[in-house]
Amino acid sequence: MTRRWFHKSVETKYYEERDAVFNALPRLDRRSFMHVSAAAAAAAAANGVSFNFHSFTPVSVAKAQDTGAGGFTFAYISDSHLYERTVNDRFVRSLMRAVDDINRLDPKPDFVLYGGDLAQLGAPAELELGSQILKAVQAPVRMMVGEHDWYLDMGEKWRDLFGAPTYSFDHKGVHFVVLNSVIEKDFWTERNMTPEQRMQTVAGLDNGVQSRFEVGAEQRQWLADDLAKISAATPVIVFSHSPLYKYYKPWNFWTDDADEVQAILARFNQVTVIHGHTHQMLTNRIGNIDFHGMLSTAWPWPYAPEGLPSLTVQMSRPNPFDMHDGLGDGRVMVDPAGLVDKLYNLWNRNPVEVTASYLRGDKSAAPAKPNLVSY
Amino acid sequence: MIRTKMTRLALPAALAAAMIASCGRQAAETATAPAETPAETASAEAPPPASTPVEANMTPAPPAEGELVEVLLCDNETKTTAVADGTREGGQAIADELMTQWKRKNPDAGWIDAELAMHQVKPPADNKDVVGKGQGSTYSRITEMDAALWAQETYKLAVEGSTIFHSGDKLGSTIAVSCDMCHPDASNTHPETYPKFQEQLGQVAMLRDMINWCIEHPVRGERLDPDSAEMRALEAYIIAQRQGTPLQYGKR
Amino acid sequence: MRTRSQLAGRAAAVCFAALALSGCGRGDDDATPQAPSRQSSEPSSSSAEPAQPAAPRSSEPAAANATALAPHGALAMDAQMERLAALAGGADADANGVDPIVWRDLYVPEDNGLTPERIALGRKLYFDVRLSADGTVACATCHDVSRGFTDQRMVSEGIGDQLGQRNAPTTLNAALFQTQFLDGRAPSLEEQAKLPITNPIEMGHGGLGDAIAAIADDAEYQQMFEAAYQSAPTEETLAKAIASFERTLIFLDAPFDRYAAGDETAMSEQARRGLTLFNGKARCVSCHMINASNPLGTDNRFHNIGIAARVKNFETLAVQALHALEAAGGDLEAVDRLALETELSELGRFMVTKDRGDIGAFKTSQLRNLAVTAPYMHDGSLTTLWDVMDHYNKGGEANPFLDGGIEPLALTESEISDLVAFMFALTDVRFQDKAEKALADQTARARKQRPFRDTALANREIFPFEARIGMTDASNNGGGE
Repeated sequence: MTRRWFHKSVETKYYEERDAVFNALPRLDRRSFMHVSAAAAAAAAANGVSFNFHSFTPVSVAKAQDTGAGGFTFAYISDSHLYERTVNDRFVRSLMRAVDDINRLDPKPDFVLYGGDLAQLGAPAELELGSQILKAVQAPVRMMVGEHDWYLDMGEKWRDLFGAPTYSFDHKGVHFVVLNSVIEKDFWTERNMTPEQRMQTVAGLDNGVQSRFEVGAEQRQWLADDLAKISAATPVIVFSHSPLYKYYKPWNFWTDDADEVQAILARFNQVTVIHGHTHQMLTNRIGNIDFHGMLSTAWPWPYAPEGLPSLTVQMSRPNPFDMHDGLGDGRVMVDPAGLVDKLYNLWNRNPVEVTASYLRGDKSAAPAKPNLVSY
Repeated sequence: MIRTKMTRLALPAALAAAMIASCGRQAAETATAPAETPAETASAEAPPPASTPVEANMTPAPPAEGELVEVLLCDNETKTTAVADGTREGGQAIADELMTQWKRKNPDAGWIDAELAMHQVKPPADNKDVVGKGQGSTYSRITEMDAALWAQETYKLAVEGSTIFHSGDKLGSTIAVSCDMCHPDASNTHPETYPKFQEQLGQVAMLRDMINWCIEHPVRGERLDPDSAEMRALEAYIIAQRQGTPLQYGKR
Repeated sequence: MRTRSQLAGRAAAVCFAALALSGCGRGDDDATPQAPSRQSSEPSSSSAEPAQPAAPRSSEPAAANATALAPHGALAMDAQMERLAALAGGADADANGVDPIVWRDLYVPEDNGLTPERIALGRKLYFDVRLSADGTVACATCHDVSRGFTDQRMVSEGIGDQLGQRNAPTTLNAALFQTQFLDGRAPSLEEQAKLPITNPIEMGHGGLGDAIAAIADDAEYQQMFEAAYQSAPTEETLAKAIASFERTLIFLDAPFDRYAAGDETAMSEQARRGLTLFNGKARCVSCHMINASNPLGTDNRFHNIGIAARVKNFETLAVQALHALEAAGGDLEAVDRLALETELSELGRFMVTKDRGDIGAFKTSQLRNLAVTAPYMHDGSLTTLWDVMDHYNKGGEANPFLDGGIEPLALTESEISDLVAFMFALTDVRFQDKAEKALADQTARARKQRPFRDTALANREIFPFEARIGMTDASNNGGGE
């Protein structure tokens, strides 16, 4: 006699159901398969996403196996906040763990995004340490700058090591843009701050002396020019450290000129923003833009008291006795139509996936809610 | 007039308060620029330097026009030399120069405002409703000054806690980690849920036990004596930030 | 006596804060060197290289006191029963040292209250080899009274001399766990008792019905079952009876408990320093918490501390495991067999929950009576408590599923000795002779070999994961290229 005696967690059930779907898919005949595709395609079309029907593969299938013609994945590591080894071993160790995770991915990602805040206090030694550790990543690395990297020397060492903070590139039919979205209006000159004081001020998340982040007029112009030649049907993915929307001002989970930046991106069919800085699972959709946050490897942050996007399924409160809880790295899966699924590889927890179809209103695709409160 | 908002103390008033304590009320009235804020009998931030008592009966004769005059601050150390031109602007310049010198010597005098410029701290209850109440005659009853004093002292402890909370050095961290890294504005600290049984601490924990655990492990510093000034200040700040939250002891 | 247990409960709760800060002075950890006995077998692999998968591991019987041996190296059943009688001394179910209200409400199930009849029946069954297919294995074979209610081997030996993959947990205090088995797949003692009986490499009956059939004709059993459960022998009552007996095996009277109750001299100064470290720098209390309601020294949770990572490749096994479990359909006994027979055993709790966070995770074991339950860890791979400390001190073994609470501790040798002294102070005083011998043996062995020690990792000169990502230059401080 058998009996289901063990309690299944929400995530276990979720994955069992997923497994059941995947296991069933290969057994679908062609007609049923197309039916599934069509249903997903209809959902996408209802949200104003145009695509080439014949090249569309159901998003959920696209991520389970190879993404097929045109689809691809990239991985990310973000917000490591390194001190020198002799000052703080813990942050160094967790970045190494993330690099190990990425190196063990199968299939290998096309490239790895580093999401900013590599150093904690912008010191040359910290940035160099980070650079060395990232050299161990067995895939090309695309760097993005964060405020902790910038405000000691206004990006001098960063440019030395990693090149221009703002750039774009194309990959398998997707146009990628990397922004420096942590520009702050000068608050330090009038206060006669030293570079170290300036950096310390910016380093405090809740430090009200610093200015709010912005992309700035110059970069917005650059963005408009860069995108001018891109057709509206081309999927666009933007990497930015701060979320390109307004979540919580006191913690600079915020971009002052978010509306202007979103306006520049408005004409495209499919735009995704991948951002760091918030150290938590975060999801939003505004107009035609999906927004996904990246996990940190250094420490998690609580959800802000207000302003949380309603689409976000929060991660449950990290356990302080487990110093890697709420942290991790992850992957982004891009399907041929440019729809993006985001995988949060949370350490010591089940991975959580936030899919494009969920962001387009498919409630059944919602990531499993944890059964513990987040805050 | 008692201020009803305690979120910021005006800079002159704070410094005036410090100077009053270090110099004595009479001398301060001479040295400071006129201010419209009420005098507050707050205690000093800067320790009062040793000073000889002012000889109240020796009033110097007013200087002649154009004469070079040496002006001494009430602490009997800070001085400046200027031409006495008899104008208000000239007087203001003398006072400003003395203040600048004094501020340089006492860099932490404005610590409350410096801290509040960076981090917001929720104010304590204002106790307006007990002003004028109490037993006995008029002079036994609670005054506005009392309420202001209570609020000021309580608030100061919370602000002091904020300075420690945000500083790895003050916490004694050996890995340069401060509390605000995981708890910006003391979020996610839930002081209203203590005491609660925390198995990993091996006991029913009070807030200070959890603070000490955090100092020992994520911050990797040395545990504080629970009755030390730092611990009390940290508790004050953490509790202050949850002003208005109902108590729910034991809640996970 | 209610007074003592109440006192222990209250005092323990009150004392903990004080205990955390106590400890001073020097201790002496030099025991008289003695030749190590064949107390436990030599691990077949060194710490540096992973062992060959599924290699038969040599396992030698304990050098128990020289009386007749039962099959598979156990002490003879009647000799064990004599020992038990001497140990328990008329075990009063109430006088076990656990807070009595907690005991009644949390640890004794409603449908299986303790009565003398049930305990007696369970005791008889516990030592009864008829519960195995070939009549050589009883519960007491691998959970031997004379060997700490375990078998003091790396892994256990069942019928046909087959070896399993896991170290046998002790029956001592097992009643106080929230789940049974190292992967927690049985929610109660009752459920646990059923599984070894039908496991083909342990006791090997085809089904519980066969085990019942083997004893049903015994008139004494019929009478005892009737008295205990008012029924004939059945599978359920068999398991309940064994569980009832196991609930009397509460051994919580250790020097630590006496110290917590107020006797300052009960623990050595060294052990007291160890207690301070336990609650502080060594971070043990985060998973091994001890308090009046949960006196075992466990959080009843499952953590990957990297033991299995030394032996197997996790990622490949995890994929294999999903496939295997699908085929089995989540059948309890199939999981049980898989856990013991195949390499998948190393995945631990994952086999039960299929949670990725549980890969390689095993239940936090109790810290009670460690002196008599060596070797340690789920595969018995750590022979002495110094090996255990070395493992934790260097931050376990880096693997993708390592529990985030494990990190290098930078403990000094003297701190390690203090912690080992404390752990020995958690062994019940009724095992004192054995404990002293074990301490001497382990000390001597630890002097000669410390295969898991890595001071560079422990002192954070190099980091876990650093070698895995190919950055092995320890002096590379990021200061320049």
